[in-house]
Amino acid sequence: MEMVALAPPAPGRLEDLRRRFFATPLQAILSLICLAIMVFLAWKLLNWAVFSAVFTTTGGPEACQAAAGACWSVIAARWRIILFGLYPYDEQWRSALACLTVVVMTVLSCIPAFWTGRRIAIVWGAGTTLFYVLMKGGMLGLPYVGEEAWGGLALTLFIFVTTCLIGFPLAICLALLRRSELPWISRTTGLIIDAVRSLPLISILFTFAIVLPFALPQWLIGDKLYRVIVGSALFFSAYQAEIVRGGMQGVPAGQEEAAMALGMSYRQRIGRILLPQAMRNALPATINQFVISFKETSLVVIVGFFEILASGNAAYGTGEWRFAYVEVYAFIAFIYFVFVFSLSRYGAFLERRMSVGER
Amino acid sequence: MKMMKWGAAAMALGLVHLAAPAQAAGGKTLDTVKARGMLNCTGHDGSYLGFAEVDDKGNWKGMDIDLCKAVATAVFGDPAKLKVVPISWAQRWPSLQSGDVDIIIKASGGTLSRNTELGLQFSMSYYLGTTKVMAHKELNLKSLKDANGGTICIPAGTSQEQQVAAYTQKIGIKLEPVVIEKTEELEQAYFSGRCDLYAQWGPVLAIARVAKGKVEDHVILPDVLAVEPEVMIVRQGDDNWLNIANWTLTALTFAEQEGINSKNVDEIKAKPTSPQVAKFLGVTPGMGKGLGLPDDWAYNVIKKVGNYGEIFDRDLGKDSPYKMDRELTNLWNNGGVLFPLVID
Amino acid sequence: MVRLLRNQKVRNALLQAVFVGSLAALVIAGVLIARQNLARQGITSGFDFLFKSTGWDVSFSLLPATANDPYWWYFLIGVINTLFLGSVGLILATIVGTVVGLARTSSNELAQLMGRTYVDIFRNIPLILQVFFWYALIRHLPTPRAAHDLWGVLLTSRGIYIPAPNVGGAAMLAAAMAVIAAIALVLWLGRTSRLGRPVGERLGVQLAGGAAALACAAAILAAGRLPDLPLLDFPSLQGLNLRGGFRIPPEFSALAIAIAIYGGSYIAEIVRGGFKSVGKGQMEAALSLGLSPWRVFTLVRLPLALRAMLPILANQYVWLMKATTMGIAVGFTDFFMIVALTINHSGQTLEAIGILMAGFLAINLSLAAIFNRINKAIALKGNQLRG
Repeated sequence: MEMVALAPPAPGRLEDLRRRFFATPLQAILSLICLAIMVFLAWKLLNWAVFSAVFTTTGGPEACQAAAGACWSVIAARWRIILFGLYPYDEQWRSALACLTVVVMTVLSCIPAFWTGRRIAIVWGAGTTLFYVLMKGGMLGLPYVGEEAWGGLALTLFIFVTTCLIGFPLAICLALLRRSELPWISRTTGLIIDAVRSLPLISILFTFAIVLPFALPQWLIGDKLYRVIVGSALFFSAYQAEIVRGGMQGVPAGQEEAAMALGMSYRQRIGRILLPQAMRNALPATINQFVISFKETSLVVIVGFFEILASGNAAYGTGEWRFAYVEVYAFIAFIYFVFVFSLSRYGAFLERRMSVGER
Repeated sequence: MKMMKWGAAAMALGLVHLAAPAQAAGGKTLDTVKARGMLNCTGHDGSYLGFAEVDDKGNWKGMDIDLCKAVATAVFGDPAKLKVVPISWAQRWPSLQSGDVDIIIKASGGTLSRNTELGLQFSMSYYLGTTKVMAHKELNLKSLKDANGGTICIPAGTSQEQQVAAYTQKIGIKLEPVVIEKTEELEQAYFSGRCDLYAQWGPVLAIARVAKGKVEDHVILPDVLAVEPEVMIVRQGDDNWLNIANWTLTALTFAEQEGINSKNVDEIKAKPTSPQVAKFLGVTPGMGKGLGLPDDWAYNVIKKVGNYGEIFDRDLGKDSPYKMDRELTNLWNNGGVLFPLVID
Repeated sequence: MVRLLRNQKVRNALLQAVFVGSLAALVIAGVLIARQNLARQGITSGFDFLFKSTGWDVSFSLLPATANDPYWWYFLIGVINTLFLGSVGLILATIVGTVVGLARTSSNELAQLMGRTYVDIFRNIPLILQVFFWYALIRHLPTPRAAHDLWGVLLTSRGIYIPAPNVGGAAMLAAAMAVIAAIALVLWLGRTSRLGRPVGERLGVQLAGGAAALACAAAILAAGRLPDLPLLDFPSLQGLNLRGGFRIPPEFSALAIAIAIYGGSYIAEIVRGGFKSVGKGQMEAALSLGLSPWRVFTLVRLPLALRAMLPILANQYVWLMKATTMGIAVGFTDFFMIVALTINHSGQTLEAIGILMAGFLAINLSLAAIFNRINKAIALKGNQLRG
């Protein structure tokens, strides 16, 4: 990027350049230091990732290991493991299609035309159902694939989507309960929210995956995957509840009083007056929370799931590709980056747009 | 509204608690498994080369996985009726205790505390492994005693941790432990030079050395830190389920002893060589009834999974990338420690 | 009317009782079922295991530890490790965040660009991947036998070695206290109204006070010196490893760096937001009063920005403290890893998880309480909020 700014200095722009980067000696030194650091790092990275890297599988792992730069052939050879994990090889197109469903669903819910409670619910409900049917099969002529065989990106996305799907309504419930005028209800809810917020997500996942089955009757235990999702949804909702509550506090009290004076019922006041405005206030923070919880799905690897990080481990975990773990991690980081970066850019865009609207 | 639901749920829980005091988990594992139509067995969260690893197509393979398949075949007559649940080391016991898996076959040894404090029960040993230590060649170590003050990589949450602590205390040296849970990360730590030494269960150590490529760069020290018989592990209080585990193992070793393998099993079934073999393959009745299995369960296991020798060769031995010798993991009549129980 | 009111009250009371009661019932039912499950499987429950010896070693401990120590001692070690890693991570993250945040608000466009690139990259990759990355990088430093020597500091794949003073532990602690006292004294001298002189002319007094306290620290160190050894202990190669000096193990540095860099990218945004929130008018007013740019920064811009940042910063700190639980990924024996290992070795799942939760609740709630106090103490008082 700095190249674009510097490269073809047309005659008239030289002066402009001087003023922007070399106005005072101090500024000039600062600029030069920054430039040196950035060029150095960019060169190192490019050299490793592109110029000295091996991209084809033709030479096999040995030739790749000998190369000075990155060995991307491990990705070429094992990308299906990384993206789809243990999913049956011949059915992996379903897994890919399911991932695409999630992407489409996310893009749709970024469009303001879908920002009513009902439409969002329909998009996410339909999307998740489609995802589930595609992944699990057992109907419509698709062979059955149990949850234990799900893996890679599809599992990461599934955990993320279901976490949001369960966590969001739960967050609204918790926020409303915390706002309740009945002191014991609001205090107990506050206690639960604060407690969950001060626990590390790992400990919650661990508890739900391993400890909870002891404390549940047999018929309620269910698959480990769903318990972990419930745990992560609980964690998500504790954070999101505070965001929603913040949004509610931004709605002037007069509005609710006016609604009450008009004789609206509790449900009408909440559903028609309070929530729509609160959600709008809380939108940037909400997207930020989505971003964070997407990144945090990476933690389920610690409770033994074959999500993208673990399937990455398996991808370089065979004899011949042992050395190429940096490349695998870089690939996974890149996948995360693409998802998270676009989401957070969108959040920043939204924030700017909304702050313009306020002025 | 919501709290009503919660209250109802709580009451339901309370009622369940009062009404059904002694239900499933410890009691009738076989019935639970049959009702589910799947055997839940342990996998790994990543790869544990030779024992539980994932191939290019995302299928599980390895010695432990094949033993899981053998148990599934004994119950259902079909190795595909197996659900491999990926779990980490630290989750083995809770997963079994809580019923997430029906049996642990995950390179786990039988120990006193696992037996008496965790409420677990063991089958016969299916692999006699020793805990050993590998070192970088250039350190020129003769034995572990020379390594005083060195750094040692140990898998976290396994019995090796205790074995290293005990052994170093015994020979009077001090090592700095680096304890990592994921095998991949642990081996990277050793091979990249973070540790001088790598303590691990013997076969895994040998496999790691082969898989790394340069076998001659690493030496496996002669010290034997501990002998660990690896066993199948089930919950206490379900004798029938433990019997099934034990007899599945016996079926594998007995078949090898009698020279029955997946290729000739049909011939031998048509013309049994002895009354025991006839009973074993379900030609004459008696093999399955006491276990709650069909009489031809052992035939199914050998036909669809193979005998012990075939499993070993496929996953660890000459047909695998690791080319390991059988050594102690051989039948009694070939210099090993394995033996079948008597089929009468 | 009266009856209705009473009804309302009764209904409210009933509603609350049902809510709280059903939650309690849920918990009690869970505990009962768990106890029954454990008993049926013959699992020993209770906290007796805390006094049994563990039989395994920890890889990092600030307290003396051997495999013969009991579990409760190991839990203590875990908590202290977590607090130690957490505080180092928080301090580093704050430094990184402040630098990057200032770069993003600076007038130099290249610095801005660099700051933005930094934030965009490190905010958008999961922490656990960053931990793996830094750990891999540190492991690929040279072995101790071929270490880089930077003025006595050795960078090796076994850790970073820094020269350590040959001083007894108690004297070190006392000296550290004296240094903290020196900083506090300088700050106090700059603010107190007991000194006659105006605030601007105290530099000499401040320096003198600080120097006196530092001299005190040096004296304590000299007094606590171990006999017959040089003052500084330089690391040197002995046998398989480097001996002497103070060693920061790779697991710790990887986590501390990852937390610093990842946390720094979040704190940078908080810092930027804080500085942006200071109104231009305030600074213009200060400048027009004749204050120098430096004093405008320290007396007006920084305090105002700090007040805006602090509540958000407090949340971030609690979050970073929780991030130490990544230790298990690279084998740093933090609280969570000790708990995970305990579950594995002793099988006391429920008890260990209970201890984990109680520990983190205590740590994070007290952290939150401390920040609330600070926040209240420095918040703008009511009458300043006008305008």
